[in-house]
Amino acid sequence: MDLKNAMLKYRWLILVLFFVALVTVPIWGPDYILLFCLFFCLYLALAQMWNLLVGFSGLLSLGQQAFIGFSGYTVAVLTDYYSVNIWISVIIGGFLSVLLALVMSLFIFRMKGIYFAIGTWIFAEMLLLWFSNWKYVKYGTGMFIKPEPPPCMTTIYYSSLIMAIGGLVLLYFILRSKIGLGLMAMRDDEEVSETIGIELFRSKLFCFLVAAFMTGLTAGVLYIFQIYIQPYRAFGIDWTIILLFIVVIGGIGTVEGPIVGAFVYVLLSQWLGEYASISLLLTGIIAITIILVAPKGIMGTIHEKTGFVILSPRRT
Amino acid sequence: MEALLQPIINGVLLGGLYAVIALGMSIIFGIVKLVNLAHGDLMILSSYLSLVLVSWLGVSPLVSLFMIVPVMFFVGFFVQGVLLNRVLGKEMEPPLLVAFGLSVILQNILLLVFTPDARSLMSNLAVKTIPLGETLTLPVLSLVNFFGGFIVILAVYLLFRNTYLGRAIRAASDDEMSTRLMGVNTKRIYAHAMGIAMMTAAVAGVLVGMTFTFYPHTGPQFLIISFGVIIIGGLGSMKGCLAGGLILALAQTLGAHFIGTGYQLLFGYGVLLVVLGIRPQGLFGKI
Repeated sequence: MDLKNAMLKYRWLILVLFFVALVTVPIWGPDYILLFCLFFCLYLALAQMWNLLVGFSGLLSLGQQAFIGFSGYTVAVLTDYYSVNIWISVIIGGFLSVLLALVMSLFIFRMKGIYFAIGTWIFAEMLLLWFSNWKYVKYGTGMFIKPEPPPCMTTIYYSSLIMAIGGLVLLYFILRSKIGLGLMAMRDDEEVSETIGIELFRSKLFCFLVAAFMTGLTAGVLYIFQIYIQPYRAFGIDWTIILLFIVVIGGIGTVEGPIVGAFVYVLLSQWLGEYASISLLLTGIIAITIILVAPKGIMGTIHEKTGFVILSPRRT
Repeated sequence: MEALLQPIINGVLLGGLYAVIALGMSIIFGIVKLVNLAHGDLMILSSYLSLVLVSWLGVSPLVSLFMIVPVMFFVGFFVQGVLLNRVLGKEMEPPLLVAFGLSVILQNILLLVFTPDARSLMSNLAVKTIPLGETLTLPVLSLVNFFGGFIVILAVYLLFRNTYLGRAIRAASDDEMSTRLMGVNTKRIYAHAMGIAMMTAAVAGVLVGMTFTFYPHTGPQFLIISFGVIIIGGLGSMKGCLAGGLILALAQTLGAHFIGTGYQLLFGYGVLLVVLGIRPQGLFGKI
């Protein structure tokens, strides 16, 4: 109990230390730590948005790769064909993702639960097929993103950090707002919450669009770093598998969960990066083991056992 | 007219194959209320098992089914009994994660053992055709696929209708709690159901291996085809499985005929979205 109180007392301190460490990495960290933090931030931002959809709004999306690929291609096309400034094209990529989400919502918001999940996946798969047959984006061979002038590593890192912190802050404020309360009521019992006057459709759509926007922005930054985009990777289901891994391992429906999950995932993938297939094999085995031992994920289980929570979505 | 008849024949025959690919997933969704995302990979696993038997014993892929079908029953029984049964509950995400995890594990084990090369199950059926008129032909292999699929669906239907196990399985899918009260161990029933689903996947895997080339990462492609079939037909309905297979395959072959082969899958999914827009629960689905 004392430990819990101490933790509660110092929870802001923990957060601030964590934040300061991430901000100053380019100053003190060697290259591989910077790279680690870059991937950590990008995956955290993507996973946090997936968490917003699945963990808090009850929208099981298996199609986040649609936004990742779409926004990545937007950046590639704008910088390559039209020489648009790289950061402006990232922002345009974010807004085009929102537009894509609006178009998707026309079809898939009629479905529920697992139908919704499969609908989003099939939408992403259709985009994959379309882009791999489209001459304008050079079919399946992919495109190179050639920004002029090329941004330096520190700039890319700070923009990824902005995505991670931005995603976290956005999630926190959405959850603490009236919409957040409504969302959680909706996730726990849809019919009852609709009866007491929560606008289901609007709240869900709002979250879907917000998640699409942040996912699009983050993917833009990711592809600036990766330089090369190719439809089979960009629209691949692997993205969603990674997000599912990060969020469920960390603890679904908790704000801190994806932070822990992203750390574990990036650690594993970097550590075992040389042996790609063994790394994936181990990732699969670890995912299954953790979920069998602690079905609520790492942070979810810690929260349940000790009541320790850093960023509570509940108002106190 | 004849030019249009060929894609229609091909589509109908391919539809039978699609139906058997999707059948196992449809069974599991209907009974366990679980979306088995590893279905495609488990199917490809049986293609590889058949490859091993064919190259070791020199038998025809169809003969290898006699060994692979029982093996896959135990694989399914194990997967459901040891892994998936433990995470079944109110939330949908843990079973999804386990299935995805299994899919990743299977793909990478296959990659380590068999290398990423494309494989196929050779048989003398692949080159035989039956001529029908001047330009029309009927590939024997497609005919085998179609009737193979039809026999499997019929067998599962009869099994579910006429045996004690089948009745218990249907009861567990209708009302799990009451079935438990009647003294049926539903978790065990689920494991049996997964075993049966994997037996159908074994047949599908061998037929697919004879028809297309496959490599360790092919699983998700067939998973998406299964999704398409059971969404059009309605999740958990066997009639729907057959109808969905026919519609999806016809949409693809006709799409290839009119628009071009590159867009045939896209056209199939377009039809799928239209069906979903009109009837979100599928043609034969219950809400």
